[in-house]
Amino acid sequence: MRTRDLTGDNTQVVNVPTTERPRVNQNMKMKVHDLEVWYGEKQALHGVSMDVVENEVTALIGPSGCGKSTFLRCLNRMNDLIPDVRIKGEVEFENQNIYAPEVDVVELRSHIGMVFQKPNPFPKSIYDNIAYAPKILGQVRKRTDMEDLVEHSLKRAGLWEEVKDRLQMPGLSLSGGQQQRLCIARAIAVSPSVLLMDEPCSALDPVATATVEQLIDELKENYTIVIVTHNLQQAARVAGYTAFFHLGNIVEYSDTDSLFTHPREKKTEDYITGRYG
Amino acid sequence: MSQGITLAPSRQLKKRYRAEKRFKAYCIAALLLALAFLVVFFSDMIRQGYSAFVQTEIKVDVTYNEDTVKFTNESVTEDVSPLISRAFYRTIPRQVEANPDLMNTTQTRWLTATAHVDQYRKGYSDRLDPELKATLDRLESEGRVSYGFNSGLFFSGDSKIPSNAGLWSAFVGSFYVMIVVLVVSFPIGVATAIYLEEFAPDNRFTQGIEININNLAAVPSILFGLLGLAIFINFFGVPRSSALAGGLTLSLMTLPVIIISTRAALKAVPQNIRQGAQAVGASRWQAIRDHVLPLSLPGILTGTIIGIAQAIGETAPLLLIGMIAYIPDAPTSMTEAATVLPAQIYTWSGMPEGAYVSLTAAGILVLLTLLITLNATAVILRNRFERRW
Repeated sequence: MRTRDLTGDNTQVVNVPTTERPRVNQNMKMKVHDLEVWYGEKQALHGVSMDVVENEVTALIGPSGCGKSTFLRCLNRMNDLIPDVRIKGEVEFENQNIYAPEVDVVELRSHIGMVFQKPNPFPKSIYDNIAYAPKILGQVRKRTDMEDLVEHSLKRAGLWEEVKDRLQMPGLSLSGGQQQRLCIARAIAVSPSVLLMDEPCSALDPVATATVEQLIDELKENYTIVIVTHNLQQAARVAGYTAFFHLGNIVEYSDTDSLFTHPREKKTEDYITGRYG
Repeated sequence: MSQGITLAPSRQLKKRYRAEKRFKAYCIAALLLALAFLVVFFSDMIRQGYSAFVQTEIKVDVTYNEDTVKFTNESVTEDVSPLISRAFYRTIPRQVEANPDLMNTTQTRWLTATAHVDQYRKGYSDRLDPELKATLDRLESEGRVSYGFNSGLFFSGDSKIPSNAGLWSAFVGSFYVMIVVLVVSFPIGVATAIYLEEFAPDNRFTQGIEININNLAAVPSILFGLLGLAIFINFFGVPRSSALAGGLTLSLMTLPVIIISTRAALKAVPQNIRQGAQAVGASRWQAIRDHVLPLSLPGILTGTIIGIAQAIGETAPLLLIGMIAYIPDAPTSMTEAATVLPAQIYTWSGMPEGAYVSLTAAGILVLLTLLITLNATAVILRNRFERRW
């Protein structure tokens, strides 16, 4: 496993054994241990532990308000932006606890990218949407390198052919599905190793959804992807592993096939068969 | 159920429709009333003010020689002399000094008539000496009297001679004041708004600040004048009556307007733009600088322009810091005594001569045009660049 440095020094954090993990022989990209989150007085996560498998797609499913989005947003500390939030527990990434005091969130987020529910391209040109982050992070300095990076990122996101002649057009002029792929291209432009997706298809029509799902499938070769979805079929289609959240706890976490065909828990079965939730 | 259903409106429904019509009628009546006030106001201003934009001019022969430089009103023939504005005679020595070739020549010129003649010709007053009336009629029959554009209204300063009074020094004063207000209140206002909206924690202290800023916007403007007098003039020793003192005082008034409108503009930028930027590794300030500010700029500028327009039209606080003085020459620096457009209008409105009535109305028209232009710019900016999500 490559080790990335989030802090500037190579402090190694002792591995914490976690409870929930699929029994497979694969590397774990992120290890979450006993994560508790409060919004003010309300507890949103009750000590969640789970590992995220490297170069796989992990889907988080569950009824609204079950804590799956909260969990996802803890993985790149986006929850820090919310006032009154309290977070306890450990999230290990590249052998470092991302909640350790020496970790810099801005640095962290350049390694763990995020795609949001509603496509949110910057109100700038398509080119600048991609080039913005590498530029401010100082990853790319030469113009030609930047052009290569923009092309590469758009190609990875399967958008290049559609926009190569109008890179200077505003990102907001694209269709919803294209905008979402632009956001994915933007996220992978800074070469993160993990991509977090918060219901990336819920604002898209079925055709655009299919395109994005195919893209997710291709991206998993190079990225570890965690996706929150309300669409059970989508989880079944794209994810290698699925975790079922309920009331701030993980009820069941296993490979997608077993979870959907032989759920161990009654609650899981009820949920996936549509009896509640 | 097919029986008993009629699709014609029931009695109750008819009643509802009538109520709706009545309500609509009230609203239209209110609108018409407001429009009527506006029309009356404007037509009155235009009726009184339009005549000040033109002035009676008389074609006369002006003689330049040793004597007329000393006794300047002898430069034109004795009978016509009292018809010409004193302001012209004053300039004769200067004219000769600037152009020595004029000496011992006679030039034919169109000269501005006195305010009495002007008022008489415009039909506002009949109090003209019968002898002068006769002379004027004679000149008129010779085609030597006409109206010319009153450029002095825009290009000369205030004067005790009504035919010579203009808005120039007030323009310059207003311009300086506007610059001071812009330089002081824009950066402070925008920075305050950014801090309160983007960085400040939500606690008692910041809530208190917020309430106070909102209250400041509602404080009577004359109190700001007192504050300006006490702080800027008495404490910091800024020169009295100066554009600097006026600008600083008006900045106090403009600040809350800019802060409130900037905050509204920042609030209108959707949260997911900030999150998107931060999710790709931008710091909080980078997200604001690169994404939030450019998006909210039209709103910020609109608020600023409206705030400044308000400051330009403000008189009350300036009365207290002495910006109501008689300023014949335009100030050349921020620290010289100055006056501003509304203060000039106020000064004129108190003058006894009838000619100042027209000047007052004309001044109001000029000020209104300026303010409407500013506000229209703000509206155009907003409509042009406003983005909706």
